[in-house]
Amino acid sequence: MSEASDRLTGSTWDVEALLTDALRPIEPPERLSGRVEDTLAAITQAAADELSDWAEELSEGELHALRDPRNWVRPVVAVGAGGAATGALVLLELRRRSRRKSESGLRALTSSFRSRL
Amino acid sequence: MSGPEENVEPAELAPAAKAELDRAFEDFYRAHLRDVYSYAYYRVGNHHDAEDLTEQAFLQAYRHFDRARRESDGRPLRPWVIRIAHNLASNYYRDRSRRPQTPLENAAPIATRHDTEAIAEGREELRRVMKHLDRLPEDRREALIMRFALGMDNREIARAMGRSDGATKVLIHRAIKQLQEEMEDERSE
Repeated sequence: MSEASDRLTGSTWDVEALLTDALRPIEPPERLSGRVEDTLAAITQAAADELSDWAEELSEGELHALRDPRNWVRPVVAVGAGGAATGALVLLELRRRSRRKSESGLRALTSSFRSRL
Repeated sequence: MSGPEENVEPAELAPAAKAELDRAFEDFYRAHLRDVYSYAYYRVGNHHDAEDLTEQAFLQAYRHFDRARRESDGRPLRPWVIRIAHNLASNYYRDRSRRPQTPLENAAPIATRHDTEAIAEGREELRRVMKHLDRLPEDRREALIMRFALGMDNREIARAMGRSDGATKVLIHRAIKQLQEEMEDERSE
């Protein structure tokens, strides 16, 4: 006996049984998983890059002024983000700049030491 | 301070909070990817658009995930993400003024795996039921996809479609009845 005849009782189709068989869950392709994760990562990175690009344009004086949260209005406008987020991003940028500065200081010290040798 | 009604974008969260949110979203994403993809596939009828729709649904879900978790009161978030996919699918048709590129009747054999020849007749019946499903009004078709492809119960379907439990029960009942009548009419012709 075929499945089809199982689903036909007299003149009545067992539509629910047919639907259960016809509408089986579909496994998503492997590539989709990576694609969504990549897009989410790119969005997060883009938000950070946007602030970083903007911060690159600042003078040291302006950057110094940003240590005061009252001056965070401009970055909020610049990246179109909320206050807390921008605060976190500004702090990250300040840390990054300060790391870069101390690294260059160290590099200068090393090269000065080398030149003396 | 953020109230429960306020949506905070993930990029706006403090690093620790964002890391926690990302971990939770990853679990959520893994748990519901197949459901969202199945729903999208049966709505649009082809894998290419189903992938786009699934991706967009999860991107939107990610943006509002923090708020959805806060407001869910511990209820499952599956109806919420299916509702996002539902809205996107509706826009997909509205914006492009089109029906599925591949009718559901053609989609059925991809979705089902039968490996004996004796099932050939059954495949024809599956194709027939998909053809009639494709012709149902959108809300009826959608409720049946949620019920049978995703295994959602009436309450979940109601939440996903923004209807009451009672109205959803009636909707599903009428959808099955209409499908049955149309298949029987076709058989008697």
